[in-house]
Amino acid sequence: MVNPVILIAVPLGLAFAIPLFALFWKDIAKYTPPVALGFNLVVSLLLLPKVLENPVIVSIGGLQPPFCINLVAGPVGVLFSAIIALVGLLVSIYALDYIKEGPTEKYHMLYLLLLTGATGLVLTGDIFNLFVFFEVLCISSYALVAYLRNKAGIESAVKYLIQGAVGSSLLLIGIGLLYGLFGTLNMADIAQNIKSVSPISVFVPMVLIVTGLGVEAAIFPLNAWLPDAHSSAPSSISAILSGIAIEVGLYAVARVLFTIFGVSLSTTPSFLLFLALLGILTLLVGEMCAFSQNNIKRMLAYSSIGQIGLIVFALAIATPYGVTGGLFQLVSHTLSKALLFLAAGYMIYQAGSMEISALEGMGRKMPLTCLAFTIGAFSLVGLPPFIGFPSKFLVVRAALATKETFLFVLIGLALLGTVIEGAYFFRVVQVLYFKGEKPNPGSKDAPVAALIPMFIFVVLIVVVGIYPKLVTDVLNSAASEFLNRLDYIRSVLG
Amino acid sequence: MSFLDSYIYYIGAFGLILVGLYIILVKHNLIKVIVGLGILDTGVNLFLISVGYITKGTAPIFSKSGIDSKHMVDPVPQALVLTAIVIGVAVLALALSLAIRLYQHYRTLNLRKIREQRW
Repeated sequence: MVNPVILIAVPLGLAFAIPLFALFWKDIAKYTPPVALGFNLVVSLLLLPKVLENPVIVSIGGLQPPFCINLVAGPVGVLFSAIIALVGLLVSIYALDYIKEGPTEKYHMLYLLLLTGATGLVLTGDIFNLFVFFEVLCISSYALVAYLRNKAGIESAVKYLIQGAVGSSLLLIGIGLLYGLFGTLNMADIAQNIKSVSPISVFVPMVLIVTGLGVEAAIFPLNAWLPDAHSSAPSSISAILSGIAIEVGLYAVARVLFTIFGVSLSTTPSFLLFLALLGILTLLVGEMCAFSQNNIKRMLAYSSIGQIGLIVFALAIATPYGVTGGLFQLVSHTLSKALLFLAAGYMIYQAGSMEISALEGMGRKMPLTCLAFTIGAFSLVGLPPFIGFPSKFLVVRAALATKETFLFVLIGLALLGTVIEGAYFFRVVQVLYFKGEKPNPGSKDAPVAALIPMFIFVVLIVVVGIYPKLVTDVLNSAASEFLNRLDYIRSVLG
Repeated sequence: MSFLDSYIYYIGAFGLILVGLYIILVKHNLIKVIVGLGILDTGVNLFLISVGYITKGTAPIFSKSGIDSKHMVDPVPQALVLTAIVIGVAVLALALSLAIRLYQHYRTLNLRKIREQRW
């Protein structure tokens, strides 16, 4: 049997080996991340069929849980680690050619560390370990946002760092309070005992932890850093921040709320409705700000906020349909937004500007890149036959199945948000294809190393969009892991 | 035992946390904000330690015979704080190096004057 520990150990070891390797041969730095992430992808896919039957629990240090740090490779963890490895692999192939300036070996090291942090965060079963991996992810992303060392990058990295550091301090206070209450850091053990103390004393750490994680997950009042950071980072990093980092933050919020604090429809319906409302607010704010942007990367960043809002809303429905829909929407957003940022990267490179108006006629200069961008945009808006259609469809169906008037109103607002989303994406597509001067004879598309990952993203988006059954089984069992916390506790503590 | 005796560490820790948050929210100078982050970190670390601290307790490993577990300090929060200190140092170091870069670009550290990015 493959041990899930290697999913963390191999990329972590290789990340710190990169600067050493680079002393001898500089080019090895850029080939290490694809190798490590390809390895992770294979291991995750090998583990996936096993964990669908039974979660794999790894105890570190030879003790039994709850006395050791443990990894829980359940359907959720392995699904997420597979997505992280897949997107990370494709983006690292893109970066082979895209990242030319600056200290490139540091870029590749931080990149691999960021993805190691994300993988560890989704696999761990210990709440302090979750904090450590969260910090690994955050610190590497602060540094990567500032990678280009230009004015905008440094300024947004400072903003991101200050907000992120306050968020992680709040998270740590929450963890300290939980430890004071329960005397354990094991998530399953805390979850088992959560009913033994008064709800008020649990409420304070819950708010602190959700606020702390919410900064990274960019839930509405905490997302001021996101548009700056995502738009001034290199495009490959924007793709990872939008496609992986905030999704992993959302995973942590969902894990803490559903598994540890046992939020469910039967016990705390009003809190879930509040979360749903917060999700829709996030969605509307994000979509409306995206609509008014002239800078293409800021537009994509605000659109990420909108999508996060929809995912929060879907998770807050907290029925099996709702959580499945939320996870599906999360996968669809990861694939589509990563594709959009990758395509936008070379379009900006070609145009020499991030203004949308500078991209006029790009559809004739870079036909393949623009086609990829268009498919990503259509998928994000939710047009069939792309992956965005089945995922949004599931979310809407889940909301309608609840028979809760308040949720009907909210899903109506979410659909309004989708209309706004359609408006600004179609505007960009129109600029790409139907504006500007006559065809430029010297058409120059993105290099092959960038076109291959984009092509794979397009294939995934179309194939899963036409045949969603490919992923729904995994998503269903992932949703049931979130909702059946007793099974989780039993599988960890035996 | 009076109220102060049992809660003095918590009062100190949350006092530091509030001072740190106040500095981060109110000060304009980036260096001061970073100092605020440092104070916030210290407060959180002190809080974690005080969760497991027992007055006049001893370390659990080197305890003499005859000391029961009631007088042993919980070692887990101390291990957590070691990790948290390391993370805090990394964040502060990164913040200071970003501050140097920011100064090179803008010739000022006043965050109210550095406003190129907005909504």
